Amino acid sequence: MRTTLYHGEPNGPSLTVLATLFAKEVPAELVRIDLARGERHALPCAREPLVAMSIEGEGPVLVADGEAMTDSVFIACYLDDVGRGPALRPADPYERWQTMTWCRQTIERTAPAAAYLGCRAHPPGAAAADHLGDSRTKIRQAVDRIEKQIDGRQWLMGTFSIADLESYAWLAGMVPLVPEAFAARPRTASWLARVKASPAVARALSLARTPDPAASWSVGPEINRWG
Amino acid sequence: MPDVTLYHWEPNANSGKPMLALMEKGVAFNSHYLDLLSFDQHQPEYLAVNPQGTIPAMLHGERVLTESTAIMEYVDEVFEGPRLMPADPRDRWRVRWWMKLMDQWLGPSFSMIGWKVFVGPAVRDKDPKELRAAIERIPLPERRVAWRKAISGQFGAEELEESRRRVALGIRMLEEELARRPWLASDQYSLADINGFNLAYALPVVWPELSNDELTPHILRWLRTIYARPATKACWAMGRTSMAKRVAILEQPHTTPGQPA
Repeated sequence: MRTTLYHGEPNGPSLTVLATLFAKEVPAELVRIDLARGERHALPCAREPLVAMSIEGEGPVLVADGEAMTDSVFIACYLDDVGRGPALRPADPYERWQTMTWCRQTIERTAPAAAYLGCRAHPPGAAAADHLGDSRTKIRQAVDRIEKQIDGRQWLMGTFSIADLESYAWLAGMVPLVPEAFAARPRTASWLARVKASPAVARALSLARTPDPAASWSVGPEINRWG
Repeated sequence: MPDVTLYHWEPNANSGKPMLALMEKGVAFNSHYLDLLSFDQHQPEYLAVNPQGTIPAMLHGERVLTESTAIMEYVDEVFEGPRLMPADPRDRWRVRWWMKLMDQWLGPSFSMIGWKVFVGPAVRDKDPKELRAAIERIPLPERRVAWRKAISGQFGAEELEESRRRVALGIRMLEEELARRPWLASDQYSLADINGFNLAYALPVVWPELSNDELTPHILRWLRTIYARPATKACWAMGRTSMAKRVAILEQPHTTPGQPA
């Protein structure tokens, strides 16, 4: 099977997919694109509906046997199904449900806030300030949730999973931008360090071409329109 | 007594998703009907089950599950019965992609319009003091905003127009996808179809100018096929209002072209 991953700097959804690819030992051709410059829209698959209409925003694209796939959590589930590396979702169906609801909260609440704050800070002031307060609250809530969840365990779902990768990928760049969210959160701090040091994430981060990949952002999912 | 209890409203939208999945799997469950329009979901008895006050929620033994789409994946994995997720990993990816589009993009556009024309007016005549108290009890701030907007008819012209644009585009996307395959995301009936049907069954009634036998024959074929399934009929029999009772156009035999290419 021929697999190609079009990805940006190892941050946000590109980091989730790169790390999953490495953890699952899926052989793939890696093609670097500049997501912030819209290079995704010049790909041969860009006009396919499931690429063009991906609501993740400017995220990576995995092409497997001609099928172009988007949305980092679902690409990660696909890689978890096909790869030979250790499972990245728990075996128990209830814990799998927890993993999927955790990721759903992350992509629906944390990711839009993080992408907005990241884009606004890099370069500074690039977006209007209207969602600032709400987005910072969402980051605080995400960190609170992790601090609570990680109590007495190494990883969010007990074993290393897609939930760790997706949460880390959106939050690593928030530490300098929303410092109050991470203050006095010792369990979150050690969890962030553990995820960063995990072999798959470390390998993904080693692909960075900028000194601080966590400062590399492109347009993310839209902020909830209502309710 | 079954060890599954489902807290749900009418057999459509988010409530209808786990209901239909359970029916398709042949899983018996205790039904606990909550009247959304009477704010049953924000009463202390239900908040003790689901502190977020969202519908639906499912109890399986001691386990409490929320989030309708994730509940459906759980139901499919844990119970015997026909598999509602395809075996092929790429098909599974497609099922999840379409469910996300419906849950996070198309669904909110449908429901903004649905709440404006149905939910808002349905509760607006209640005693204002009682309504205010009911809204104050809602745990999630986003849901409080949604209810206030629906009740006071505060949706802006621009946001309603954007929702209409998305509905029209979503209908075109569904039609194109269903022209390619017999089912929404794969060649077998799956959770994506259950999700999609619960969102889209009323399309030809609510949006007849956008979805009809001439313009969207594949959508009509798809809806009629799901409408006729025994599980759908059993599910709809649990409805208490006219929301999911009968859709005459889906009872007509499908005569126009609509088979996938």
